[in-house]
Amino acid sequence: MTSLTGLVTPTERIRAAGRSAVRVPPTVAAAAVVIVVVLLWSLVPWLFTSYDPTVGDTAEKLTAPSGAHWFGTDHLGRDVFARVVYGTASSVTSALVAVSIGLVVGSIIGLASGFLRGAVDVVLGRVVDVLLAIPSFLLAVVIVSSLGFQTINAAIATGVSAIAIFARLMRAEVLRARGSVFVEASYLQGGNRLHALLGHVLPNTYTSVVALAVLQFGTSILVIASLAFLGYGDPPPASDWGLLVASGKSYATAPWLIYAPALVIVITVLSVNRISTWLRRTQ
Amino acid sequence: MSRSYGRYALLRAAQALIVILLAYVGTFLVISVLPGDPITNMLRDPQNGLTDDEIQQVVAHYGLDKPVVIQLILSLGRFVTGDLGFSLQSNLPVSQLLGDALPSTLTLAGTALLLSVVIAVVIAYGVQYLPSRWARGVLRSVPSLFLSVPNFVVGLILIEIFAFRLHVFTTIDPDSAAATLFAALTLAIPVSAPLAEVLIANLDHESRQEYALVARSRGLSQARLFARHLVKPSMLPAVAMIALIVGELLGGAVITETIFGRDGLGTVVQKAVTSQDVPVLQAVVSLAAVVFVTVNLLADLASPLLDPRLDARPRRKAAPERDATPERELEVSA
Repeated sequence: MTSLTGLVTPTERIRAAGRSAVRVPPTVAAAAVVIVVVLLWSLVPWLFTSYDPTVGDTAEKLTAPSGAHWFGTDHLGRDVFARVVYGTASSVTSALVAVSIGLVVGSIIGLASGFLRGAVDVVLGRVVDVLLAIPSFLLAVVIVSSLGFQTINAAIATGVSAIAIFARLMRAEVLRARGSVFVEASYLQGGNRLHALLGHVLPNTYTSVVALAVLQFGTSILVIASLAFLGYGDPPPASDWGLLVASGKSYATAPWLIYAPALVIVITVLSVNRISTWLRRTQ
Repeated sequence: MSRSYGRYALLRAAQALIVILLAYVGTFLVISVLPGDPITNMLRDPQNGLTDDEIQQVVAHYGLDKPVVIQLILSLGRFVTGDLGFSLQSNLPVSQLLGDALPSTLTLAGTALLLSVVIAVVIAYGVQYLPSRWARGVLRSVPSLFLSVPNFVVGLILIEIFAFRLHVFTTIDPDSAAATLFAALTLAIPVSAPLAEVLIANLDHESRQEYALVARSRGLSQARLFARHLVKPSMLPAVAMIALIVGELLGGAVITETIFGRDGLGTVVQKAVTSQDVPVLQAVVSLAAVVFVTVNLLADLASPLLDPRLDARPRRKAAPERDATPERELEVSA
């Protein structure tokens, strides 16, 4: 039903979207389910477990996983599954904070240096070089040690160490979009620079930046878990995923204390990465 | 025309130097300007039992009673002359602390680098040539699995299985060959993933080139074709990644050394963070930046030499259009 001018009617566009939406690979669908479950854990943890994450029954300490305790119990008899579920909110929120910082600051830097070029580009380019020159985990460690050992500070540190990656991608995308015909056309029609930037350049950077943001969400979960593992986040009884693994490692006879939270981290990050790859390939 | 390569090298070296100095300034600002001044906190901490005289000494040495800009200039001046200061914790010179820890970390990171290349090559070879489609698919998803497992989980699982159950090594003697190997494996696994991804993509590209077809038609077996013709061109783009990998190894060492109980740079960082030992932190981060920038510089300078297509100098038999724009080729690679 393509008309002579080659325009696509709105109904056609919706149909096309419908067709492509059906073509979601099964692994991506499974990954989406995992993400939804994790988000629900962080929003309404009490719907998923009847146990209290901080109060345990010492008579039942260090019991192996069973029907009653899916992930077993820890040294105070607390249900590990409940601790994982209730720890989700903190792990997910801090990863979101980290991605937001990296995305917003990095995008502004990349946008400015790609669009303004010249001296701005040179100065911001060196800033990005410096951020890249310090290994990102080391940078995060130094920032969190300067800000103080709290989960929110670990999130900020992780976000700052991700700025450079976003800035670099954004700059490349802006340069690509800037040179294209539609931006030139916008200028020819009398559009000013701001209009070209917001109306034409920015929307065209969207897909790849979103794919990177999703990928960084997974990476941030790993980095924040590592910082929590080293004890740079909130102290117990907080139950960040990394902290759970760290406190579990003291009990060699109860390996589920390590494996259960570790498995949750791995499955979550794997799902996030799968979705990011899919987003990048279908753009 | 090798003058243009020389000029390019000089320019890149100057750029690298600037980045190192800026990284030092940046770290200094992060540590001293952000809320919660660690040096003062640490000086006031009664647990450290410093006398008023000693406090005065430290304050005078770092210029803590002067504005931040003066402190920065003092500190930068010392760094440029190679003076890294003294640890607040142990009173030892920072250069000595780092010198003692360096060999252990170099052994660990070197072994890990080697292991990660081996793992990446094995994965890439398997993905390309394994007879079963199913096995190829499983192997293809290994890099993304490696990227999703936190470093500390890999280490704890290896210790749990190989130290506690199979007794292949003990955590009591972390510097033994076996323990070092497993620590290096922990560090190598996340690093090998991006390397494997690049190799897989390049191998796929290279094996479709005509020279590969010619080599196959000459009767070369798959393994010999891989080893003699495909590995080198597929590895070349990975040279550009080497600096990133080194950075990853240094960052990962903090976790790996802590888990395996090794006394390396990572442990030094971890202890310095816990005790807010600012001079040590500043030195380690600057050292990491120096290493990263130097490796990056070497990789950049080496790629035109390794890959003649990026070479600034005209080759005797090079294609004419390559000769015409050597400068632009270099700019692209830079």
